[in-house]
Amino acid sequence: MYEVLMFDGGVYRINELYELIEDIGGFVIQKTTIQVMITVTMAIPQEDRPIIEAKTVELGAKLVDVPLAGTEIAVVAPTLGRHHMPHPVCDIAEHLRKYGAITVVMGLARGKGRGTAQITADEKAFIEEYDAAVFVLGNFADCIMKEKIRLFESIDIPVAVACGPEITGLPNCEALVCGIGRKVERMRRGEEIAKLEETAKAVQEIITARRREVDEDPLFVHPAEIKQRIEELEPVKQSLRPAPIVLHVDGLRVKVPFDSAHEQLANVDIYGRKLGEVTTISPSRLGGSTMIRILTKAQVASREAQDAGHQGSQS
Amino acid sequence: MNIKVEGTEQYGNEVYAKLFERILIDLGLTNRVEAARMIIKPEAPLFLVSIRTRQARSTVKIKEITSTLEQRGSDSYMVIAEESYAPALLAMLWKRYGRERIEQITRLELLVKGIKVAELEGLELNPGHELKKDMLDAVWRLLPEGFKVRHNLFSDTVLTIAATEHVMEPEWIVLAEKVHHEMETAPPVEPEEAEKEEEDV
Repeated sequence: MYEVLMFDGGVYRINELYELIEDIGGFVIQKTTIQVMITVTMAIPQEDRPIIEAKTVELGAKLVDVPLAGTEIAVVAPTLGRHHMPHPVCDIAEHLRKYGAITVVMGLARGKGRGTAQITADEKAFIEEYDAAVFVLGNFADCIMKEKIRLFESIDIPVAVACGPEITGLPNCEALVCGIGRKVERMRRGEEIAKLEETAKAVQEIITARRREVDEDPLFVHPAEIKQRIEELEPVKQSLRPAPIVLHVDGLRVKVPFDSAHEQLANVDIYGRKLGEVTTISPSRLGGSTMIRILTKAQVASREAQDAGHQGSQS
Repeated sequence: MNIKVEGTEQYGNEVYAKLFERILIDLGLTNRVEAARMIIKPEAPLFLVSIRTRQARSTVKIKEITSTLEQRGSDSYMVIAEESYAPALLAMLWKRYGRERIEQITRLELLVKGIKVAELEGLELNPGHELKKDMLDAVWRLLPEGFKVRHNLFSDTVLTIAATEHVMEPEWIVLAEKVHHEMETAPPVEPEEAEKEEEDV
């Protein structure tokens, strides 16, 4: 399984690190250079961590764990109204970013209230594009346990719920963090920061479980490898949006319009195959973006076997 | 300030008392509220809030809060004597004549361009009206967002709002009226006493 780490040091002899990452079969996910300092986010095989640690010491840098790097997480509030935003939703999103995740804050159109709280199929599909979702709910157990659970009952990605009252368990979600609830001020006190940490830990756990699940039936290529191949494409280079390529656990979001770029993306070469053959490329519900879902090795093999069968029967 | 919350969920009650306190601090209204009472029944669902404000200052004329009010050419010149009225006075003049016609020469000196003193003398400031508006803002921030069906009761110093999601039950209206009446007739809480109570808590 891959482990995601961040190297924080100087640019001097940095190429040695890149070569080492390549040698052990890892990938560079992101490089940020600020004058003579550099941070490199990388995915490396878990068992090779000591090698990278030794190199980091040799280069006088430090290695930081960023367990959520390479994931995109949605933090969902019942609405975008001032009752739910910016606190605590944005505080949670910001804290998850400290662990390397790319986070998106969203509010449902009609998630407010009790019996009237609802989520549309469109909103569900939108949330399902992410690796995990954190639903941030209010202060009343009766309301959460009887009504709000409907908001996340058939979402196909792992869901963590943050709410106020102490609840022992909640259906339809993978993790539950109690003691947050509605806030009208920034979460900056010691006990509140501890709650943010608890939320980050809960999200890490569900992401780790998701990664393990993916590892049981491994992907044909790691998302970071595809990133390396497509970041030189002209439409991607021209994209002015921040982070034009966002890694997911099992794919990528490329912030270029599907209509104009999907053919070019599908023709990128990946280990002798076309990207379109080893992934599913589809338009994203986030306007002007394209989703790439990587097929597993088994799926690619069976697809090829089917194709071979077709060709055999035709001849 | 005395905030009392009754309801079926202990956690929610405590949080809403703190939330209301924080909202009042944000809006700068802490010393304007004498007492607040909330009844929260999420299972009903009912959210009832009643607030008693300290007596708002009565309506004043501009000439009563200025030490000088004289004509200077086509403009009017004034010196504010009671500084606490300055924000409300400025806001009213801006709204009435536009910012470009009001020049704030120093902290307390104002020049109202192209307006006769006689016209300004007749203008009145109503701080109580502003207080009611601010208090409503605080209540909107406090009430759960989905509770759109409301029953409002207002008197000089007490504001009571019962809010629910679908149908306002007659007994909730009766309850709101009862709470409103109790808030109106409760003995006044002196600021010192209120502070002492808070310290005791």
